Amino acid sequence: MSYALNEIEALAKRAVRGAGMSWGTAEEAAKATCWLCRNGIDGAGVLSALLRQNAEKAEQDLRPVATTGLWQTLGGGPLCPLLSGATLSDCAVALKDSPISMQNLSFPVLLLPFLASAAAQLGCTLTLECDAGTGSTDGNGLALSGEGFLQVKSADVVIRIGDLSGEILPQDSRATPAPKAWDTLNTYAHKTYAPATEASRLAGAGAGLSDND
Amino acid sequence: METPVQNSIPQRDPALVMRLNRLGSMHQCRLSFMRVLTRRLAKENWSFARPVFDVDAKGVGHAVYTATGPVRTYSLVAFAHDLPPEMRSDRVIATAWDATFTLFDGVPTAEDIERLSKNVPYQEAGRVNEKSLSVSRANRSVRLWEHMVDALSKGEQPDAAKVASVGYLMRTTAVYGSGKLGAADHETIADRPEFDAPFQAEMLSVFLTRAFVRDMINHLAHARGGDQAAELASEIAHGLGIGNSTGLGMAPFLINHPVLLNNWVAAREEAIARVRSLNTVTEAQENLFRSLFARVQVLVKAWRSEHPVQIKKLEALKADLDQIATRLNNDDLTADAPWDRLLNWTSEALSEEGQELIASLILEPYGDLVDNLSSAMSDHRPDAFRILGSMSVAALRDLMRGTYGWALETDWSAQENCARAWYVSEEKLEPRLGERFEEPIADYEQPLAPGRDVARAFDDLKTWDASTPIAEFLLKHPEHRHSIRRVQINACAPYSEIQDNTICADMMPIDMLRYKLATFGATHFDPRSDRWVRICMFGNAPYPEELTNENADFWVYPDAEGQT
Repeated sequence: MSYALNEIEALAKRAVRGAGMSWGTAEEAAKATCWLCRNGIDGAGVLSALLRQNAEKAEQDLRPVATTGLWQTLGGGPLCPLLSGATLSDCAVALKDSPISMQNLSFPVLLLPFLASAAAQLGCTLTLECDAGTGSTDGNGLALSGEGFLQVKSADVVIRIGDLSGEILPQDSRATPAPKAWDTLNTYAHKTYAPATEASRLAGAGAGLSDND
Repeated sequence: METPVQNSIPQRDPALVMRLNRLGSMHQCRLSFMRVLTRRLAKENWSFARPVFDVDAKGVGHAVYTATGPVRTYSLVAFAHDLPPEMRSDRVIATAWDATFTLFDGVPTAEDIERLSKNVPYQEAGRVNEKSLSVSRANRSVRLWEHMVDALSKGEQPDAAKVASVGYLMRTTAVYGSGKLGAADHETIADRPEFDAPFQAEMLSVFLTRAFVRDMINHLAHARGGDQAAELASEIAHGLGIGNSTGLGMAPFLINHPVLLNNWVAAREEAIARVRSLNTVTEAQENLFRSLFARVQVLVKAWRSEHPVQIKKLEALKADLDQIATRLNNDDLTADAPWDRLLNWTSEALSEEGQELIASLILEPYGDLVDNLSSAMSDHRPDAFRILGSMSVAALRDLMRGTYGWALETDWSAQENCARAWYVSEEKLEPRLGERFEEPIADYEQPLAPGRDVARAFDDLKTWDASTPIAEFLLKHPEHRHSIRRVQINACAPYSEIQDNTICADMMPIDMLRYKLATFGATHFDPRSDRWVRICMFGNAPYPEELTNENADFWVYPDAEGQT
């Protein structure tokens, strides 16, 4: 089914929050998911895969310990691209001085929207490199190279100022996520919904008067 | 278009404007979205047609209304239903309605109608695609509908007092746009000039819905009365608007769209500042103002509410109007910055209802000076969302102490200050407001208490070195990201934040609804509870086929006796 990107964003935000991350991270994750969809990439699919992988893990075990030197988690486990991405955007200016390396980054494709945010701040093109290929963005457009890059589940990556090399992906204004991925996002989003009670049904929305007037 | 010189009077302080009491006292103005729409439709000479009206004697069927502008045509596709009374509910949890609608991008084919007929009547349970720009539904005002069909079918006109006491034949209970239920994202149509100002597709849909409702009543009266049926008199039809019944959903919208909220408030505040800065006023401008003041009194006189809070506010407003009338009788409005003098006086002498009514009314003679501000009311700055990680902890703290000073001084451990929590119910995903200490909802709380959340971030910032970039703080405290973002947005969008407690025990959500609906151009606010309000849209407006440059602007003000 074809979805509006606003629908993708609304569900992604709730799903990320439902998966236990902070509201602010969820807001950015939702925009990141849409950014991928706009560039023709299955954002909902990769987000649902990440949330399944992150399940039961606390934010503090998924984020970089520090932003100096190699970015890695406390125990060397997988780095979450949403938490790392938000931090990358916050620290964009550091890329002017030197590349940033990340160890064991989950789903590197999900870091690309945050590269776009950093690139827009710096007014340049940023490139993400890993063994399977590269992705580069000037903030709007996205170019990919390397077969299988989109499928990479985990990799060591380097982000640096570069050029928009390769063919720029065509833009899309709708998304058609796989039903299974959509269901997964809905399952996580559902965790943010309060079970309905008769009391809340009446009082919570403030109705109660007849509408047959 | 007059080019405004530097304003000598600044915009009003956000700390004054962005309080819930004041937002809950706002009135429509020239920049309201309904009036922006009718001005554009008239100016660009849009044409209107009704290519399909296929409705049976029981009122079941569909109709298509088209609006054609310089470049494009839009069609309101309306489905009329025979709804049993026990199913009639204005709530989001309803599953059937008297009528359902979509605004279609272009002219629908038979296949489009067929597809839409299997989806639009089901609203949230159906799907549309990017050819739909809005999806909406409406219920009849049972008391007025039956009276009208009955009277007209007997060849009589309906009782004017009864018509006036309701003001509309149908009220919409949701008008969804921007990507909802699969419709087109606003971003995909935002570059069309007709959608330059916010919510124009939704307003167009309601404007055309009003014509459909008028046609339906005539159709059903004729079906019942045959040749003896009378056509609804045009003066009565003009008085009818489209009602709207609005629940809590609009309140989170304002908090979730801080840049949009800023742009709406800032546009009106800039308009007010421009007009206040005028040193002299022409006789024609003064006369227009005085005649519209007479007409706005008629509007307020017809405004009814059963809600104790609104009844009190209306009494105050009526007393305000008397005071203003006295002052206007004794004041020459042509010299010595008369608008500034008038507003300075209102801020001392009148209730907030009266103050905001006059603040809106002084804009009326100045279309050339203020109408261009409507295009600044959309959100053209997606970058504002991005956190500036290099900002220092000290700079952040300073920003917090400014706009959020009230929140830093609030005792958030006191139950009455955080008595409520906003949440989304799993039932049709309806936004609700609950009692934090009485219901099991805290775990589901939505981030709709910016004051409390900024105060929490401020607390956690206390131990951080002043020169540290905020990026480092956020790495350790991702739970404060949404608050830091809001604080930074507010630094460049001063009206982005409601400067009041949105979760305290005595907060009135209708204040937020009132602000949004007034910005749309609604009148006759009639709260049904502290979180539910009925209003009237396009009351007194010309119908599409009657729209001209002469009647496109001041229709909102009913004619006053002895005035033209």
